[in-house]
Amino acid sequence: MNKTLRNHLTGYLFISPFLIGFLAFTLIPIGASAYLAFTDYSLFGKSVWIGLDNFKEMFTSDSKYIQSLKVTAIYVFGGVPLRLAFALFVAMLLNTATRAVGAYRTMLYLPSIIGGSVAVSIMWRNVFGDEGIVNLGLRALGLEGVRWFGDPLAAIWMLIFLSVWQFGSSMLIFLAGLKNIPSSYYEAASVDGANGLQKFVRITLPMLTPVIFFNTIMQTIGAFLSFVPAYIITKGTGGPLDGTLLYSLYLFRQGFEFFNMGYASAMAWVMLVIIAILTALVFLSSRFWVHYESKGGS
Amino acid sequence: MRKRAVKWSLYHVFVLVFSLLMLYPVIWLVMSSFKPTHLIFPTAGSLLPSPWTFENYAKGWEGIGNQTFSVFIRNSLVIVVLSTVGAVVSSALVAFGFARLKFAGKAFWFTVMMLTLMLPGEVIMIPQYILFAELGWLNSIKPLVVPSYFGHTFFIFLMIQFIRTLPVELDEAATIDGCNKFTLFYRIILPLILPAIATSAIFSFYWGWENLLGPVLYLNSPAKYPVSMALKMFLDNETVSNWGAMFAMSVVTLLPVFAIFFAFQRYIVEGISTSGLKG
Amino acid sequence: MLKKRSTLALACALALTLSACSSGSNGTTPDATNKPANKGGNQEVGATDTPENVTLRMAWWGSQPRHDYTLKVIEMYEEQNPHVTIEPEYASWDDYWKKLAPQAAASQLPDIIQMDLSYLAQYGENGVLSDMSPFLGNPIDTTNIADTVVDGGKIGDKLFGFNLGVNALGFQYDPALLQKMGMSDIPDEWTWDDYMEMAVKAKDAGIYIDTGMRAEVFLAYYLRTQGASLFSADGTQLGYDDDQLFIDHFSRVTKIVLDGAGMTPDQKAQLKGPEDDPAVKGEALGIWQWSNQFVGFQQLAQRDLAMQPMPGPNRQEGMFLKPSMYFSISENSKAKEEAAKFINFFVNDIEANKLILGDRGVPGSSVVKDALRPELTPQQVQVFDYIAWAEENSSQMDPPDPIGAAEVFTALTTVAEQMEYDKLSVEEGAKQFREEANKILAKNK
Repeated sequence: MNKTLRNHLTGYLFISPFLIGFLAFTLIPIGASAYLAFTDYSLFGKSVWIGLDNFKEMFTSDSKYIQSLKVTAIYVFGGVPLRLAFALFVAMLLNTATRAVGAYRTMLYLPSIIGGSVAVSIMWRNVFGDEGIVNLGLRALGLEGVRWFGDPLAAIWMLIFLSVWQFGSSMLIFLAGLKNIPSSYYEAASVDGANGLQKFVRITLPMLTPVIFFNTIMQTIGAFLSFVPAYIITKGTGGPLDGTLLYSLYLFRQGFEFFNMGYASAMAWVMLVIIAILTALVFLSSRFWVHYESKGGS
Repeated sequence: MRKRAVKWSLYHVFVLVFSLLMLYPVIWLVMSSFKPTHLIFPTAGSLLPSPWTFENYAKGWEGIGNQTFSVFIRNSLVIVVLSTVGAVVSSALVAFGFARLKFAGKAFWFTVMMLTLMLPGEVIMIPQYILFAELGWLNSIKPLVVPSYFGHTFFIFLMIQFIRTLPVELDEAATIDGCNKFTLFYRIILPLILPAIATSAIFSFYWGWENLLGPVLYLNSPAKYPVSMALKMFLDNETVSNWGAMFAMSVVTLLPVFAIFFAFQRYIVEGISTSGLKG
Repeated sequence: MLKKRSTLALACALALTLSACSSGSNGTTPDATNKPANKGGNQEVGATDTPENVTLRMAWWGSQPRHDYTLKVIEMYEEQNPHVTIEPEYASWDDYWKKLAPQAAASQLPDIIQMDLSYLAQYGENGVLSDMSPFLGNPIDTTNIADTVVDGGKIGDKLFGFNLGVNALGFQYDPALLQKMGMSDIPDEWTWDDYMEMAVKAKDAGIYIDTGMRAEVFLAYYLRTQGASLFSADGTQLGYDDDQLFIDHFSRVTKIVLDGAGMTPDQKAQLKGPEDDPAVKGEALGIWQWSNQFVGFQQLAQRDLAMQPMPGPNRQEGMFLKPSMYFSISENSKAKEEAAKFINFFVNDIEANKLILGDRGVPGSSVVKDALRPELTPQQVQVFDYIAWAEENSSQMDPPDPIGAAEVFTALTTVAEQMEYDKLSVEEGAKQFREEANKILAKNK
């Protein structure tokens, strides 16, 4: 067989695990959920086709839905940059060669390992309670304590801080990226007389852009789909006054507590479209700011 | 010299304090596991237990129903190890395909792959459940493990990004030396993206370890439950929850993840110098 | 040479992954629990004189104590019925319902399912629970169980769940704290006005009067005392026309919070669990809750507590015996009669009930109740006595909550929360709730 055909086949051979898995396990369920979005389906009964009614209801007569969009927007656009900046800061901090650094790395990654267990929700309620250390700290600084659990606007920030606290995964990826930068670059720059800041801006950042790109996209998608923290901290209510009603939480309630599975599927597809558009924008913009060493790579 | 020493000690102090602050909630968790259950919340303000007790660990280890906690840990280990191996290997293969090979329809399939990441899992949960029911895989770990052998988009994308930082000249040089695509993948690229592989392994282990929804759906017999489900069973919204045992077992179940992280993180650290061009 | 070998290797890897995909259509692993029992049925062993071997899957929610004794009850039954194997499936409350829904959608429900009143209509009317009426009398012996108790599981004519035990509402409080308020006891025939006066006394004594009232439960109670109900009989709209009823009830509830005699919503949100409850810690007089929660309350509080019937007026119309939980039989079960036999054992067998000890509600069978009395702790006796009193002082329960009830309750809790934050007046709340609830319930038409 000729070379190009063999190239195509080899390519498909390599990605075949994904293809097979997709066709076997994912395609049909995704198709089913797309179908369900246009139906009224309560999980046990028959699904009844209702066309665009779910979508109409979402945007015109469901105030909780609109609220969930707002809350999720704050969570994503407020939380993701914060989390990434924090993760990068810590990764840089830990990008040294001291012996203790392995221990530090592990300690700082630990919060992420705790994940979304009930234990976390207890701890977080402890920390942000009226008499928790956050409020104690604020008062020590002369500020008033914040009603983290009572004020809808503050409550979402409590969730954002939780996600920032669990920055370990982004930090890890940044670390891997940092380690990938050849030290010879830095040495050459020093020889040329560059200082720390210049090195950071001219070498570190550009070399990190592939990883920043990855983290931005993944964290954004993850934030939009975030469910467990909101569920465990607010005991599944999205309170106070729907201040923490993240999109996924509302979707879950519609699907599994109210048994409006058709409506929940419609919600899911709207979310998919939103995320896809945003991600596409980031991908398109990447041409301008992401720098790959492999010129001519795919 | 002194200036450097001062700088280093300041660094250590700062990082240490910072770490401890970040760890406060975790430290609270660990300390609480040594307090008797009924004292955990009344003494939530003070970290140190008094009296100090190991009963939570003893009680927690006895487990729930007829199973000791070791059963749950074993179950989790089996699921997680199997799926991590599958996920990392298959994702690497797929990543190489997308990152380095040219073939028709590549952009299309890449987009499809990214899209699968963006759909909230809850809605494909029911159709997927019915699919697995038809296959007869209910009440087994198959639905939890088998799909990971077909690549995990997160890892694939991560590895793609890392592969793309490697100069194409590397591939060209290797091909001239007689490598085909597979050897190129196996001998050249794979070792160079070890940080990404190590990261993927850590994530896969950790996500599998704390995965709750999958086991809830697909495992019916308590003898098969992983630790994530077992921990929830210590709690009861009707009567008394056994917080002490739950905290104690949470600490115990953290240890394997901790260990894996500690073991693998040096592969991330020992950066590969991409001056492999010269070598 | 190299090329051929590596492509072969890759092809082998492919083949392996493909075979993993197509395996297991019969669950052919030797693992006992992976047998066809997964399809919620039995495995026939050919017709002989001995009863055929049957495997039943049984699911329930709860925590460790309940799992432990239930497993023992199962062992007891299996010893007496060697041809039956019961595979237990148990989980915590949250996980249980998450599991059950997909199982229902895939017709994979366990044979015996523990069921709750709030889900009975959803599962029953959608056809995934079987009608147990044919089993009444035989094999489920109901001679010692009152009709009203059995009827608690009926929707229309069909019996979708067998009542395992009953609860009743009440106010559970600490008599010592009552003394602190300057009262020696609560009058038996007390009214809501008396309650409001007590709230003032509690605040003066530095404690909360209570920890709030679950919105849908206590609004329903109040509506009953006023001759109405929360849902209409056909479940297509609210069961009361006069918003003044809503206003009366919630004016009281919000007044307590806004006057400082009760906790604010954000204080309540910070409670970490039952042990953090102010009533447990001695910071509130008592809790409004179901009788079966009394024992747990007392265990946490570690002191003597009392149970007080609900306030009037019209208390008898308001009180009712609520089925604490049911056992239902799934429609996809292939061993319905065997499942019914086990349920009969569970509710009638005395030795079994000595293990159960009223954990799933006060049993319906009078014979069982009498037999249990000597085995009970003083607190459990208090609960049994309270139910005995309630049996004489209740009226018929409202029909099970209609489909959409969960959504209605969420709407109500949201409105109640807003009123307690003083963001919504009670009058506006009444209107808002009516609009939202009727919109949800209209889908049942």
